[in-house]
Amino acid sequence: MSTAALLGLLAVVGVVTFLYRYAMIGLLVSRSLPGWLHALCRHIAPASFAALTAGELFVHGGEVVLALAAPKPWAALVAALVAWRTRNVLATIAVGMAALYLFKVLF
Amino acid sequence: MSARGPRPRPRLAEFLAGCRDEAPLLLGVVPFGLLYGIGALAAGMPAWVAQLASAVVFAGAAQLVIVQMLAAGAGALPVGLTAGLLNLRHVLYSVSVAEHVRHLPRRWRLLLAYLLTDEAYAVAILHYQCRPPSAAGPDLRHWYFLGCGFTLWLTWQLSTAAGLVFGATIPPAWEIDFAVPLTFIALLTMLMRERAGQAAALVAALAVPLFAALPFRLGLVVAILLGLGAGVVASRRGRHAR
Repeated sequence: MSTAALLGLLAVVGVVTFLYRYAMIGLLVSRSLPGWLHALCRHIAPASFAALTAGELFVHGGEVVLALAAPKPWAALVAALVAWRTRNVLATIAVGMAALYLFKVLF
Repeated sequence: MSARGPRPRPRLAEFLAGCRDEAPLLLGVVPFGLLYGIGALAAGMPAWVAQLASAVVFAGAAQLVIVQMLAAGAGALPVGLTAGLLNLRHVLYSVSVAEHVRHLPRRWRLLLAYLLTDEAYAVAILHYQCRPPSAAGPDLRHWYFLGCGFTLWLTWQLSTAAGLVFGATIPPAWEIDFAVPLTFIALLTMLMRERAGQAAALVAALAVPLFAALPFRLGLVVAILLGLGAGVVASRRGRHAR
């Protein structure tokens, strides 16, 4: 993506994000939101993070790549176990990166 | 010692109280700012654009998602849609603080809306709900809110800058940008405690390979929407089952 396109994208995301934040404070008078919006918002983060992680691990250049000897999925699996046991973001990153380096040497 | 009268500068006192109460949350924010700065460089973003994004977008999760998608070669449309979706939760915060700030002048509402992030919201709303305005003087709690928001804003800008400086010294062979999906994995395990979250994540992840061939990596957006649908269905089921 060119720098100009990137700036345009960031400007749009910035304005939309600001409008979300300003929506109920300054624009609309309604005091309550429909229940489905609350339900929807709870699931956006897990769906997005899962999709992006799966994309990073198994899709390269629009093609699905499932290789047993690929270091990243295995490193991700180790990281997931650490995350599950420790619930600690920094520990997950540290062990996941270490696992990546290890598997890159091994495979 | 003489008894303390009303503080000479009540606005400043409220502002500083907000700064102080926001401080413990900064420990969780700084690593993300560093990671964002490092990841943005690795994804090919010019440093000044990455820093500008921290001021314009000012939303950590969305910025990390943008970096990850740019690194994956996604087009502007899927990146914008995903970031727009991810930030939708701010509408909920907006609704929640609205009753406390609606009486303020417009310039205050614009400023506080800009500063309304997850972490500032969490601290400010607690203050609003637990501390009724003192009957003696005017309601100055928006100064507290400003203190929370400003502290977080400054920390986010500085940690982004530190990440950009630090990131420039890391060789590409270290694949430090892999830390971004690792972060998503860590956050996922915390978000997947309930059934509906598990369904949303699982369906979204499984749908990614199915739609991988779509142009501009729009398949990611389709997968996220399918995951959302699964989450909503699962939470409805859960409610009926009980």
